[in-house]
Amino acid sequence: MTIVHYVNQFFAGLGGEEAAGHEPIRLDGPQGPGRALAAAGAAPDVTLACGDDHFGEHEPEALPTLLAWLEEVRPDVLICGPAFGSGRYGYACGVLAREAGRRGIPVVAAMTPDSPGVMAAEGAAYVVPTGSNVAAMRTVVPLMAGLAVRLAAGEPVGSPEDEGYLPRGLRSNVRSDRTGAERAIELLLAKLAGDVRTEVGPTGDRVAPAPPVPDLTGVRLALVTEAGCVPQGNPNQLPTRHANVWLKYPIEDVDSLASGTYESVHAGFDTTVGNADPNRLVPLDAARELERRGAFGSLHDAFYTTSGVDTPVATAAKFGQEIAAELLEARVSAVVLTGT
Amino acid sequence: MFITALPTIAQMVGTNRILRGVAITSPTGDPSLAAGDEHDLRVAIVERALEMLGTEVEPTTIWELA
Repeated sequence: MTIVHYVNQFFAGLGGEEAAGHEPIRLDGPQGPGRALAAAGAAPDVTLACGDDHFGEHEPEALPTLLAWLEEVRPDVLICGPAFGSGRYGYACGVLAREAGRRGIPVVAAMTPDSPGVMAAEGAAYVVPTGSNVAAMRTVVPLMAGLAVRLAAGEPVGSPEDEGYLPRGLRSNVRSDRTGAERAIELLLAKLAGDVRTEVGPTGDRVAPAPPVPDLTGVRLALVTEAGCVPQGNPNQLPTRHANVWLKYPIEDVDSLASGTYESVHAGFDTTVGNADPNRLVPLDAARELERRGAFGSLHDAFYTTSGVDTPVATAAKFGQEIAAELLEARVSAVVLTGT
Repeated sequence: MFITALPTIAQMVGTNRILRGVAITSPTGDPSLAAGDEHDLRVAIVERALEMLGTEVEPTTIWELA
């Protein structure tokens, strides 16, 4: 079993803040907390280290260096941290964990649940939650070592609740000896007793509300929809479900989405009512009227559309990011999105 | 901001500005109304949407039309 351990300058014994600019370095054998890992049965063969500031400020150079060493050693498992409450260290652990995970190397990391490293890891690592300071070392190291040894051996790892790592945003099929009805009733009774649990945790990410648009009179507004609205005949063949694309259509000279000129090809609801008047799906006629009245500056010259049916969250998020990037480029600062 | 007749689902995935739409099949229309009334309703919906865009909100806020 080959184990690589990543630590920052402090835990590698290179120095404190004065060494935070240290370049990546490769060391043999366990260093610092690596010795505790060794005592717990997961002895690092190689230790990689980098100064926290250096990683944060020179990620484009530091990360490839560290990854090249990983490729060279090809470990059975990578262990990152524990970083505790250190944001920079946690971030470096999370980024390295994500990239190693994507390259097929199992990763165990540890840090506080609110560390930026948890988000940076994007579910690619088993992240064991820790307290904010080194006092948590004694409890977290055995957990990390246990997970690391099993991952290195290719053994299955149980659920986050059973194993003590943070949820990775993944779902896995498990066989239960009780029916869904039995489990649902149990969850309901628990909820009535004040114990709210779920078998399927939310996977959506949380984004802070955008600040309000203070003055709409100068604003360029865009209309976006997942209602599958397209020109009649669906000229670009927007998929009716499992859409892998979003499309945009010019509306510069269009006042209303007239029936017979536009239609919905969305396969997830009965489109009869929408197709009788597609403004019921994308309120173009009303937006034009309010534009004329001066309720906002101007309407963007295209509307954006896809069919949101059986769309994985990751795909939807990608569509959202792509459309938002284009709208920002076009100086659109407010969007009305309609969903069905 | 997002107009949908399924606001609790929007809330579950973390949408912050949610306006309850009329129906799943017609978030910005009501086929039971006369054409003129339905158009007025739609203008009111978009006006409310604009109002929401101009308002500071807590995460996953749901507004009704009125």
